Amino acid sequence: MSDLETRERIHPGTAPGEDIALEIIGDGDFDTAEMTLSIGPAHPATHGVLRIIMEMDGERIRDAHPVIGYMHRGFEKLAEHRDYRQIKALVNRHDWLSGFANELGVALAVEKMLEMEVPERAVWIRMLLAEWNRILNHLMFIGSYAIELGAITPMFYAFREREDIQYLLESATGGRLHFTYNQVGGIKVDLPKGFLQQSTDIAATIRKRLQDYKDLILGNEIFQARTVGVGALEREVALAYGVTGPTLHATGVAEDSRVTEPYLKYGEIDVTVPVGEHGDCYDRFYCLVHRIQASLDIIDQVHDAMPSGPVNQKLPKVVKAPEGWTYLRIENPLGQLGYYLESDGTKTPWRLKMRTPSFSNVAVIPHLLRGTLVPDAIAVLGSVFFVVGDVDR
Amino acid sequence: MTDLLPRAEASLSVEDFLEALAEHVGEQALSGVTNEYDTLTLHVEPGSWVEVARVLRDESAFGFDLFDSLFGVDNRDEGFRVVAILYSTSTGVRVLLDVNVPGGRDAPVLPSLTGLYAGANWMERETWDMFGIEFNGHPGLAPRILNVENFEGWPLRKDFFLASRVAKPWPGVKEPAETDEDGNVVERETLLGDAPGPTDLDKAMADHAKAVNVAIAEPAVEEAAESVAEDVAATEAPEALVELEPEPEPEPEPEPEPEPEPEPEPEPEPEPEPEPEPEPEPEPEPMAQAPAEPPVAAMVAPWPLGVGFEDEAVLEGELPDLPPDDDPASGEPEGRL
Repeated sequence: MSDLETRERIHPGTAPGEDIALEIIGDGDFDTAEMTLSIGPAHPATHGVLRIIMEMDGERIRDAHPVIGYMHRGFEKLAEHRDYRQIKALVNRHDWLSGFANELGVALAVEKMLEMEVPERAVWIRMLLAEWNRILNHLMFIGSYAIELGAITPMFYAFREREDIQYLLESATGGRLHFTYNQVGGIKVDLPKGFLQQSTDIAATIRKRLQDYKDLILGNEIFQARTVGVGALEREVALAYGVTGPTLHATGVAEDSRVTEPYLKYGEIDVTVPVGEHGDCYDRFYCLVHRIQASLDIIDQVHDAMPSGPVNQKLPKVVKAPEGWTYLRIENPLGQLGYYLESDGTKTPWRLKMRTPSFSNVAVIPHLLRGTLVPDAIAVLGSVFFVVGDVDR
Repeated sequence: MTDLLPRAEASLSVEDFLEALAEHVGEQALSGVTNEYDTLTLHVEPGSWVEVARVLRDESAFGFDLFDSLFGVDNRDEGFRVVAILYSTSTGVRVLLDVNVPGGRDAPVLPSLTGLYAGANWMERETWDMFGIEFNGHPGLAPRILNVENFEGWPLRKDFFLASRVAKPWPGVKEPAETDEDGNVVERETLLGDAPGPTDLDKAMADHAKAVNVAIAEPAVEEAAESVAEDVAATEAPEALVELEPEPEPEPEPEPEPEPEPEPEPEPEPEPEPEPEPEPEPEPEPMAQAPAEPPVAAMVAPWPLGVGFEDEAVLEGELPDLPPDDDPASGEPEGRL
């Protein structure tokens, strides 16, 4: 954990600025005005249409109230009017940065209720693309978080890598954002010729360039001054809010369903879950960057283990899940994605509840913002990693 | 029974788990337990809703510290169910708590879990927003969290109709819930109220689409020399097409074509059933008819979607000359009649 050591060396355990002695002018009893500040719904720091009403005392945030719902599209209602095979086109839109993971979740849930065996090659391909989707997602947040803290270059670097990965995924799925590649019982088509070679090459390239991100951002003193000790989230609070993913890992809890409840073939390979210690913005970002490394390790293992064979199977003309319900969770790039699927035996679900990681991550924002300063609010908002469409669904 | 604790050294079976739970909350707190599809579900009595969650959170034997989610489910005539999902990071067990909300469909009320789990706050707000379930002890369910503030109704209840389905039926015969394996339009059983099932228009469209496909499939073999488009016109529905297709010259109309009669309209149909042979002809047909279109458009005015929603011709902007022709065309038949 060399990056965490770097952190300790530069800022040994104190919040930035605490060691600077300020000269207080006058009697130090400033008159601060109480005011209410509305950030958003269209503000660059909120990654979309999220509004946050802040009650301010001077520059200090006394309380914050996120207002969500601007992007509510009623996916849960729409899903009740869709065939099981059509739902994947809905779910890969609620979190547009994790399309593959979302449609994978629905496919797994339906297969679980049908007790359907998926061909082995399809399972490994799903894992491969799910990890690529995870890297794609994390690169986006690396770029956007850095740009919120005033560093513009990482955005260009991240999009350079994203372009390679999107090109790779497009060659297999035909989509760059909404892949629609999973289907009940397998995947749509087999990988194109040369995909694995290309995937290996891109993985090697990104692995090499990952050190640039660590040096450029994690090792950057300005970045550390903005993030170390800022927005610290306690472990118990995170769990009570249902916070998952890198935001939870930063508090030291290695709760990752790829490890604790292995789905697909994650149980057969080594999965590393990077964890932090302090739960602050720096540790959250640290976990995000190192999750890319972990995903690359998984991708290499999948390349080695990829079997041959069919990738999908013939389905009945009408897919009907039997009566009952199931709850299936997978590790979305942003955290734990859960699908509660209840069927009444017809062609459409009776209820499809989408438990999205972003919803819980945004719910904890008021707790994080209380007592911080306005500039820190930007650092906090970017570091809890949410997609507004995933919040509102 | 499978072990519940894959990670802990001491494995705990479902029976042991339930036994330990019953010691704390009593036998009568649970009305049942199911474990289908690897989903352990405790059916909790409403009176013990908070108590069961508190025991699961606080007792060290369970340690359910991760509040996963809470949401409502429409339970037909019996009202609503609320499901809360808890997970224990120490033991790796996840449990669904399922409760029938007292109060039926009219006044569903349930005690709030916000005193135990902070995450229940927004989840319960969302459940109230979507189902109208009140949570006693919640700090403030209003304003609506996802829907707009002045929204009326509870969208995820089954008696709340999807607005787009009320405004217009599904465009085509392929709607999954309304066709059986053979493509016949069937009435979907509605459990609550009158959900908008297939209308007469839907059925007419479906019958016509099937008739067209049969007509295309059969004569194409016999009279291969003729163009398939003519086959459709000649064999499929001579009367219908002649009626619907008034020639540009004023000819005596056989029937007055009253407005409410939803006559099958040939154009939008060819898409739904992709047949290998007739594939080339759907395009030429609407294109060829486009000039002679205006009276048709006028007559099928009650058509919910307008003429040829999915037509290439419309998409490519072939029909914009419709509106100017509309008025004289619609005036003519009326005058004659």
